[in-house]
Amino acid sequence: MAVCAAGNRFVAIMLKQILSKLPRKSQKSDSLDSAGLDSGNHTSNLSNGVQCTNIGNSITSRLSVVKRVSSAVFPASIMAGVEAVEPNLSFKDVSNPQKQNLFISKLNLCCEVSDFSDPEKASSEQDLKRQTLIELVDFVSSGSAKFNEPAVAAMCKMCALNLFRVFPPKYRSNTSSGEAEDDEPIFDPAWSSLQLVYDLLLRFISYSSLDAKVAKKHVDHSFILKLLDLFESEDPRERDCLKTILHRIYGKFMVHRPFVRKAVSNIIYRFVFETERHNGIAELLEIFGSIISGFAIPLKEEHKMFLCRALIPLHKPKSIGVYHQQLTYCVVQFVDKDQKLANNVIKGLLKYWPITNSQKELMFISELEEILEMTNMVEFQKIMVPVFQRIACCLNSSHYQVAERAHLLWNNEHILNLITHNRHVIFPLIFPSLERNSQNHWNQAVLNLTQNIRKMFCEMDEELLLACQRKLEEENSQLIEAAEKRKLAWEHLETTAAAFKPAATNNVPPVKPATPLVAC
Amino acid sequence: MSTVEAPLYPIAVLIDELKNDDIQLRLNSIRRLSTIARALGEDRTRSELIPFLSENNDDDDEVLLAMAEELGVFVPYVGGVEHAHVLLTPLETLCTVEETCVRDKAVESLCKIGSQMRENDLIERFTPLVKRLAAGEWFTARVSACGLFHIAYPSAPETLKTELRSIYGQLCQDDMPMVRRSAASNLWKFAGTVESAHLKADIMQMFEDLTQDDQDTVRLLAVEGCAALGKLLEPQDCAARILPVIVNFSQDKSWRVRYMVANQLYELCEALGPEPIRTDLLPAYVRLLRDNEAEVRIAAAGKVTKFCQILSPELAIQHILPCVKELSLDSSQHVRAALASVVMGMAPVLGKDATIEQLLPIFLSLLKDEFPDVRLNIISKLDQVNQVIGIDLLSQSLLPAIVELAEDRHWRVRLAIIEYIPLLANQLGVGFFDDKLGGLCMQWLQDKVYSIRDAAAKNLKHLAEEFGPDWAMQHIIPQVLEIANDSHYLHRMTLLRAISLLGPVMGSEITCSKLLPVVVNASKDRVPNIKFNVAKVLQSLISVVDQSVVEKTIRPCLVELSEDPDVDVRYFAVQGLQSIDQVTMSS
Repeated sequence: MAVCAAGNRFVAIMLKQILSKLPRKSQKSDSLDSAGLDSGNHTSNLSNGVQCTNIGNSITSRLSVVKRVSSAVFPASIMAGVEAVEPNLSFKDVSNPQKQNLFISKLNLCCEVSDFSDPEKASSEQDLKRQTLIELVDFVSSGSAKFNEPAVAAMCKMCALNLFRVFPPKYRSNTSSGEAEDDEPIFDPAWSSLQLVYDLLLRFISYSSLDAKVAKKHVDHSFILKLLDLFESEDPRERDCLKTILHRIYGKFMVHRPFVRKAVSNIIYRFVFETERHNGIAELLEIFGSIISGFAIPLKEEHKMFLCRALIPLHKPKSIGVYHQQLTYCVVQFVDKDQKLANNVIKGLLKYWPITNSQKELMFISELEEILEMTNMVEFQKIMVPVFQRIACCLNSSHYQVAERAHLLWNNEHILNLITHNRHVIFPLIFPSLERNSQNHWNQAVLNLTQNIRKMFCEMDEELLLACQRKLEEENSQLIEAAEKRKLAWEHLETTAAAFKPAATNNVPPVKPATPLVAC
Repeated sequence: MSTVEAPLYPIAVLIDELKNDDIQLRLNSIRRLSTIARALGEDRTRSELIPFLSENNDDDDEVLLAMAEELGVFVPYVGGVEHAHVLLTPLETLCTVEETCVRDKAVESLCKIGSQMRENDLIERFTPLVKRLAAGEWFTARVSACGLFHIAYPSAPETLKTELRSIYGQLCQDDMPMVRRSAASNLWKFAGTVESAHLKADIMQMFEDLTQDDQDTVRLLAVEGCAALGKLLEPQDCAARILPVIVNFSQDKSWRVRYMVANQLYELCEALGPEPIRTDLLPAYVRLLRDNEAEVRIAAAGKVTKFCQILSPELAIQHILPCVKELSLDSSQHVRAALASVVMGMAPVLGKDATIEQLLPIFLSLLKDEFPDVRLNIISKLDQVNQVIGIDLLSQSLLPAIVELAEDRHWRVRLAIIEYIPLLANQLGVGFFDDKLGGLCMQWLQDKVYSIRDAAAKNLKHLAEEFGPDWAMQHIIPQVLEIANDSHYLHRMTLLRAISLLGPVMGSEITCSKLLPVVVNASKDRVPNIKFNVAKVLQSLISVVDQSVVEKTIRPCLVELSEDPDVDVRYFAVQGLQSIDQVTMSS
């Protein structure tokens, strides 16, 4: 399936990125381990790989914290037989049957979230935690982990406690005036361990022997919703991890697919219709790009709805530049699967066409070109009039890039073919713009392009060109007259209206108070 | 053309315009809907115009928005309240469109119309509309529905009321968070119309559901309405049902939730008795004042005075004052600014002793804050300040702050301080003012930024009003008139502006003897901008001076300017001459 293929690519890239950033600590980890063990009373036992139930004081206290947290969340039955293993052991130091329990103990150890108010304490805790996380990642990637229910539960809990957090408010600048907008993203001080947690989660989700039936109890709707909330992160690295993970979840958990689609739609609706602020739209759309390309043909009504109600309105927000590439990809996938959708997309583009934002307008023209290129003659004829009314405006744009870009549509062979076939409709729409440009466009490059198109028209159908010219002259002379007529009509209306007396004003029944009765 | 004489079809005019490609024309015609309606008369408005508008809903959002707004005031044009229901159809469609602004406006207009409708029409026409929207297939309809229940509910018979409550309950649990958010933010409006018994049962159940929603955004909006909801309940019910939720939310891990609580806490106090305030809300509030997140502290600090007002002075001194001290040294300037904008109001609450002992040092340290907004916020409450600490102490600590702010590099700060100068003058009195601030006022007239020069001119006018023409004659006029010789034409322009403002205050005599000659002299300036401003000033002085002076001095000068080579100068000179003629004619 295309979904999985693309997913694998993501995973591979992400792992490479993460691994390249990890400090190589394998030798160092040994020394750290032995240092940690010195604090215990039974060093010799431990180094012999014997299971240890009596643990050093300092460690007992830490473990009790973990146990308290865990037992609050999980029924004792799941935890039974788990707490016995000292989490600071190394995997190679315990017997194979114990590895699974050690795995869970280590996961529980990582549930503690550092407080960064005390930097020194935090940094030593962080080191220990990072070390443990690296061991966990190694253990899972070696393929020896077994994800039975307690392990899945511990994994999800650890991820939830570490990852699901509230992002701080947008930084207010401390330099008295707010005019210098500072767009530096905020990076979480705990990123180095967060990154490992993400890595672990990814390996867990992509684990070949992971039983989706067991895992779905913990990777549930609320887990997914919280994960989706994290797409708000300002850190692109974090969003990148999330993208890969969500994609894998989508691939692995068939039962969750409708839910993921619905939840992402809700995020998009909120973004488009309520806030216009979200950092992760591009990433979410990237995932959807490959989801859409995996949709079966004929497309389900539900999926077409997604196009019309979520993707097309996404053209409205100001910040479209951030995700336009991914959005176009999604839209193109849809049109590729069902040509009739081109019509909806183009109508949407025309509806949200930017009036004052030239950068956005350039994107719209590019997208329009891409869609038109996939449109057949029949579909094209249904929408060519509004499309070319819009293009006529773009040709005249005083922003030379917009004007230039609009002219370049004629270089597209498919579009040129569509135009040529329908020239009797399109020429008259475009011609006034060409004339206006040749008379007073300021930019030489645009002028040249206009001349080229005019020449093209002339070679194509000189008679039509002359007809257009005559019609334009006629219209111009009527323009002033029409405006005058309109003015007179309104004046006439005003005088008629002035005679109006509302018949009802005198016998209006007493208006009920709008404010209703209130208890107490 | 023949069309002008031919009978006019108003509807045809509208249809014609609404089909035009130019959106501006379409907008204009929608904005003049009432003209068309009046021209048509009530009957034809109902039978032709409204049906046409109901069909015409595929336009640009901007046009739809204008339509939604116009329809809200359309009741008189369709024949008064007994026909108001015909407006529901077009608005119902507008409630379902995609664009949020259009929907909001349509809901607003529906509320306006519904609150005028007759009871029977509400039951037979309005309520079915609400039910249809609430059952709408797409979320837009359901979102709109939430905002209409409070209009439909009061006049509904008992069974219908039960049904409406149950529908609202369903909206609170809708599948889409958008709908739940709308239900949450409209809950308090609906609650205001519901009978006490149902309020305690049904509505509170909805409130509790919403506060436990799995989406943060929904919970937030539920918190936002909690104070309004609390005020509808008996104090003991409020304490039992709402207080625990809020106290719990005040320790939420999301700063947004805590921020919202900080904003709502004071309002909620008004719904509660003194006891729960002391035992529950006060500790929660103190926690918020010491929150880790600056945004939360900003919200909480802004309410400090209001909160103290409902507490006993002892409690305020014991619990709130220590926090205020901390906040005045907060690391975030925005927290300090928020505090500075309200802290003065605490003085009357705390009483004189506590104020001088405890509040004054805080206040002085804020006045010396390195961040201009903080200082400005204090200075803006100057009258309150003066009452508390007395003029001497005030002027000692205030003056350096003002002088510094007067030269701040951000012109908005300078502008703000200029706007407080008349207030300062009033508080400090003339003697103090002459010594310290007179120079500053003149200096601003030559600022680099136009808005400052303009504000400086206005300030002179206020000062002249405050201290009287005699004082102005001595302390303002000579210095101002000196600017006439300034080499910078923008400065000379400021002079003209100042004269046009000062003239009416100074009265006819001084204007004729001192101001007018300067203006006339300026009419020979080499810069055309000065000359047409002279024309404008002369025009404004017509009403100040005697008729004879107008004829003797102003008219000749304007006549001369009306022959100037510069087109703008001629234009304004002619304008001036025309207004002289008007005055002469009317007198």
